[in-house]
Amino acid sequence: MKSNKRQLMILVGVLLCLGLGVTLYKVLFLGFALSPSERQTVWTVEAEISFLAQGGPVEVSVNLPDNLNDLVVVDVVDENADYAYRVEEQDGVRRGVWSKDHAQGPQKIYQRLNVYRLETGKGREAKLNEAPPKVVPLSGSAKQLADSLLMDVRAKGSEDPVSLARELLFQLNLPENNTSASSLLEMKDTFGGSLELARSLLRRAGVTSRVVRGVFLNETGHNSLKSYLEVLAGNTWFMLDPRELVVVDSNAFLIWQRNNESLLEVMGGTNSKVSFASVENSVMANKVAIESELGKTPLVDFSIYTLPVHAQTSFKLLLLIPFGALVVAIMRNLVGIRTSGTFLPILIALTFLQTSLFIGLALFVLIVGLGLVLRSYLNQLNLLLVPRISAVLVFVIIIYLAISVISHKMGSDIGLLVTFFPMIIISWTIERMSILWEEEGFKEVFIQGGGSLLTSSLIYLLLSSRLVGHLAYSFPELLLVVLAAILMIGSYTGFRLSELRRFEPLGRE
Amino acid sequence: MRFILPSQLRSKGVVGMNMRNVRFIAENNPRHLYSLVDDKLKTKKLAEEAGIAAPRLLGVVSVQRHVRQLIPFLEGQESFVVKPAKGSGGKGILVISGRDGDRFIKSSGERIGEVGLHRHVSNTLSGLFSLGGNPDVAMLEEKIDFSDVFDGFTFQGVPDIRVIVYKGYPVMAMARLSTAASDGKANLHQGAVGVGVDIGTGRALLATQHSLPVDHHPDTGRELRELVIPDWQDFLHLASRCHEMTGLGYLGVDLVLDASRGPLLLELNARPGLAIQMANGQGLRPRLELIETLEPGRDSVEERVAFSVANFRRG
Repeated sequence: MKSNKRQLMILVGVLLCLGLGVTLYKVLFLGFALSPSERQTVWTVEAEISFLAQGGPVEVSVNLPDNLNDLVVVDVVDENADYAYRVEEQDGVRRGVWSKDHAQGPQKIYQRLNVYRLETGKGREAKLNEAPPKVVPLSGSAKQLADSLLMDVRAKGSEDPVSLARELLFQLNLPENNTSASSLLEMKDTFGGSLELARSLLRRAGVTSRVVRGVFLNETGHNSLKSYLEVLAGNTWFMLDPRELVVVDSNAFLIWQRNNESLLEVMGGTNSKVSFASVENSVMANKVAIESELGKTPLVDFSIYTLPVHAQTSFKLLLLIPFGALVVAIMRNLVGIRTSGTFLPILIALTFLQTSLFIGLALFVLIVGLGLVLRSYLNQLNLLLVPRISAVLVFVIIIYLAISVISHKMGSDIGLLVTFFPMIIISWTIERMSILWEEEGFKEVFIQGGGSLLTSSLIYLLLSSRLVGHLAYSFPELLLVVLAAILMIGSYTGFRLSELRRFEPLGRE
Repeated sequence: MRFILPSQLRSKGVVGMNMRNVRFIAENNPRHLYSLVDDKLKTKKLAEEAGIAAPRLLGVVSVQRHVRQLIPFLEGQESFVVKPAKGSGGKGILVISGRDGDRFIKSSGERIGEVGLHRHVSNTLSGLFSLGGNPDVAMLEEKIDFSDVFDGFTFQGVPDIRVIVYKGYPVMAMARLSTAASDGKANLHQGAVGVGVDIGTGRALLATQHSLPVDHHPDTGRELRELVIPDWQDFLHLASRCHEMTGLGYLGVDLVLDASRGPLLLELNARPGLAIQMANGQGLRPRLELIETLEPGRDSVEERVAFSVANFRRG
């Protein structure tokens, strides 16, 4: 028997760890919100691609931004009905491709991205598996020019990668002050621009860097891509504005293009250009967490979120029922409230959700009261059990009908809500209470009926709470915690609250 | 409203519902044995095999077509009891104390005719009085000739003695005395008086009605302290033997005292209530735990009764 107890404790422990562990994981790492009202800022970025089609087949491809450490692309929306859209991936680079067999004249393609920021604070951390960006090697005279420039830069006391890069950019921005810089800038086209030149120089100085192009999400309105130089210092990328020579906060910077990935390629069109606009809006935090790429973990993928919406809706209710059962267990075994049956309070509470509490209470008392009056008549007929309950069922339906019709005639449709009450359960309740009345007296009926309604009301308050609904739905694993609590109550051998009253005379001497 | 602290209850050794259910019933009463006590016919057959005295079974009506043979069968039987085998709470028990020509005299003095008796038995068979309305059988039993030692201690009804037997040891006892409030039934929560009985001596300890102490029977005015159960050792032996008979570890044994035959087994209960603690002014727990320290199943009935008498006597 002792081993039974230990087994139960182990089971309870496992259930608690699993339930709370998964919940914590979802909150801390997947961005699920504990509170139903928590909202997240989501930026919608729209890329507008325009070009002039030349009358033949057209294919447009745009580089897609990747998920960064804490900027997550939630979804990519394509709303260009007449273009076929696909996503192509090559060497880890994802591109959105639109194609059409025939297009003529000015064309516009819109692509909308929803981007969301996780608060992990890992935004600038370099990913371990990130390949070092390629640089064009310096050669010949460029080598000597570079060494002399770097010497000048170092002479300014810039040793750490960021200040080294800043000083270098400063020199390149003002070539008239430094002959090596101006000579190097004359060859910038062989490197692919001045920023690429700066990268080659940094490489020579032993600093890893890359060029990123993208948009700031918190700047609303139209804007075009801006280029920045990122420098790796230790494990962190620092983003430098090559014009202002300052380190820029990259928290809200969506990288659209990295190094020399091409941004836009249009085949079969001319005059192509792309511009961006971003808008900020807030979305339920959980929706974001579920829809983001991070949500594709098995935990979320094998969950109710993958069910069709109508099934999700019914689970929203089903997932609440165990919480009601927990309340019944607490009320009966810890408090010692007597209820009529185990499930009646839960079912009545579910009915209250449809009718609202006070109307529900009033209707319940009315139906059961009328039912008991009619049932007391059946008593005299000495009927057998099954026909007797069937007769009560007929009564109950007649009562439903009467309440509905009378209420409707009186100009109120409140009475129609009576149909939400489960009639089989109500019939059973009337039957049981009637027997109770006969055997134990009215007091017992009052105690059990009152206990049922009190419990139902508590369950109703719990189930109608937005927080509980949100928790049950977003964290179905909390069911394991409910189960653990129920198991613990099931093995609780202490006193019930009501017994402190019942056994009170034992305390008198 | 007055409350008692859980710590006070614990120090008094009171057993609560949760502890009774989890620790004593669930661990000691295998569920498959419940039918032995829930079906009074089975209990009676077991008692007969074990040689435990019980009201004699006159016959059993198990099918409707036998109902009509009832009258010839009962010829010459002045008094008898009709009982549903699976009834509860005294429902459906018909006590016939005599005859008035073709008619039967109920214990209340009311008369019932042949047709009335037929209908009662027929209703019993269809399950009118059984738990959940399951089909049942009607038992015909001899009527107990209540001993007059309880005169003045009960009102209109059956005085019975409940003994809690744990692993074969009688641990606590009480007499349940009917009152006008309980409508002649020995049902404590309907207002019957519970009188704690000293396991050692069979003498009254405390008396409670509705959980509150009383000194005198509310209807007859007799001082309840004067109650002494005669042949107390026989009661204890009988109760103790029911453990072997059923295999149940935690058992409520209800006994009655017949004027000529002595203590008889009335029925058994696998989920006896806790009001016995109120009637004794003491908790069950120290006694149950004392028995748990003993090696199980080693002692004879005599040794067990002697152990209980020695350890649980108060007076």
